[in-house]
Amino acid sequence: MIQAQSLTKHYGSKTAVDAVDFTVQPGKVTGFLGPNGAGKSTTMRMIVGLDRPSAGSVIVNGKPYHEHKAPLREVGVLLDAKAVHTGRSAYNHLRAMAATHSIPTSRVHEVINLTGLESVARKRVGGFSLGMGQRLGIAAALLGDPATLILDEPVNGLDPEGVQWVRKLTKQLAAEGRTVLLSSHLMSEMALTADHIIVLGRGRVIADASVADIIASAAQNTVRVRTPHTAALASLLAQADVTITNLEQDVLEISGLTVNEIGDRAAAAQISLHELTAVSASLEDAYMKLTQNEVEYRTGDTQTEAEVAR
Amino acid sequence: MSAVINSTQPAAARASFVPTGSGLSFIGLLRSESIKVWSLRSTYWSFSLVVLASLGIAVLMAFAMTSGVDSAGAMGIDNDQLFVMVATSGLSLGQLIVAVLGVLSISGEYSSGMIRSTLTAVPNRLPALWAKVFVLFGFTFAVGLFSVVGSFLVATPILGAKGMTANLFDVGVILPLLGNALFLGLIAVFAIGIGTIVRSSAGGIATVLGIILLLPTVVALFSLLVEWVADIVPFMFTVAGSEMITPTTMESWQAFLVVLAWVVVSLGAAALLLKRRDA
Repeated sequence: MIQAQSLTKHYGSKTAVDAVDFTVQPGKVTGFLGPNGAGKSTTMRMIVGLDRPSAGSVIVNGKPYHEHKAPLREVGVLLDAKAVHTGRSAYNHLRAMAATHSIPTSRVHEVINLTGLESVARKRVGGFSLGMGQRLGIAAALLGDPATLILDEPVNGLDPEGVQWVRKLTKQLAAEGRTVLLSSHLMSEMALTADHIIVLGRGRVIADASVADIIASAAQNTVRVRTPHTAALASLLAQADVTITNLEQDVLEISGLTVNEIGDRAAAAQISLHELTAVSASLEDAYMKLTQNEVEYRTGDTQTEAEVAR
Repeated sequence: MSAVINSTQPAAARASFVPTGSGLSFIGLLRSESIKVWSLRSTYWSFSLVVLASLGIAVLMAFAMTSGVDSAGAMGIDNDQLFVMVATSGLSLGQLIVAVLGVLSISGEYSSGMIRSTLTAVPNRLPALWAKVFVLFGFTFAVGLFSVVGSFLVATPILGAKGMTANLFDVGVILPLLGNALFLGLIAVFAIGIGTIVRSSAGGIATVLGIILLLPTVVALFSLLVEWVADIVPFMFTVAGSEMITPTTMESWQAFLVVLAWVVVSLGAAALLLKRRDA
């Protein structure tokens, strides 16, 4: 369990994390979302004591991280895949980490097998691909068989098999009663993996709820209709609480009406439909809606060369 | 009757997971730092160079000595002093190598990101620094002693050809040799401190080599302009290091305290900054 209270971090005049309160429960996978610069990584670094909070506190498994007698057995952390000396082999890196807590070498071999690193374990980490580095980072996080896991972007750079493996692993670890905090920018993956979501935006918690609640509260279900008579259908359905968007020449996206209502009314008005699909909102839609005002580094509209030249 | 085992049923979810097993210990940290030291190629290169430079230069020195003069007395020193001079003549090169190794042992962790792994394993941070200091001091001292004793042994037959002899276990021989090995280890420790303060390999190496090589010369030059500056020359790190072994202006133990002061200041500042800074 991770409990943050008014956790704050300033870097000079910039506030990276602004008095956040949250609790990460055991037995669940908690997703940690937010745009770049929202404060996710800083928060994770403060949990394990790499950064000192400017104000507030965070405790993990009942104590501040540094007060634990066996920190690696309490918390396993993957902050970035590059927290390894590039001149050392994966095996020796894990052995050096394990030695601090007198974790036996048999456990080092276990996590190497678990993460599929057998064939490269004796090679120097400098030559690792991003995916191999991630696997090594996850292996290091699992070394102490910890009660809490904090994984920052664990699927970054992993192949599809690896992504699926992380999904299964995190769910299994949570089912064993562990606390799992996971950040990712892959919303589809997060929707499949997480039970609970905490969304940060500009250093503040802007949502803290179950995945289903987040989707229900922030995004609407829509209906997709394909018809050659888009204008006629649009005027037929137009009413106060209905939003109609013309997606393509013959495709409308309609919110505020059910599939049944649209189908029945179109039939009554003898408008032929070529497609009528209920589109349930995704976590991505909900996330975009939640964070639309919180994005710190927004991509600019692409200008054409002619416009720039002008 | 046979019991029905339902193997398809998943393990029941537990309310919370309670960790068990061994915890953090200083012995564990020492082991961890040893693994770190011996799992990098640069360690083997550095220590090999220290030994080879020491032996090689000692052989050259021994031949140079015997070609010019026929006895130590001709140079105004006794045989013990001659043997010590020859055996330790290559160590100044070793000092530079060890200084670089000391800086890299910590700056390499910063540049690679390894420091984040180290400090999450040891959140109180200082034990990790002390373990690194103990381990690198121990190995450097051992390599230094091996080098100077080895150099003594390879020089013995060369000098012996001219009838010069010395006993390794004479106080006048073994103590200076031990002192050289000790100073070599302390240079490594001093360099760890500087590396921790600076956190960059280039900056750390420049600082340490500057203090070892340039500072005594710069201070000596200043002493030509300002008279009292001459008094602080013996307090320079490397000057005190050699005073500790062959005292001229102060006692050995006084020089040793000066050396220790440099190490303590470097490590103290390193500890303070390591504890306070975000990693």
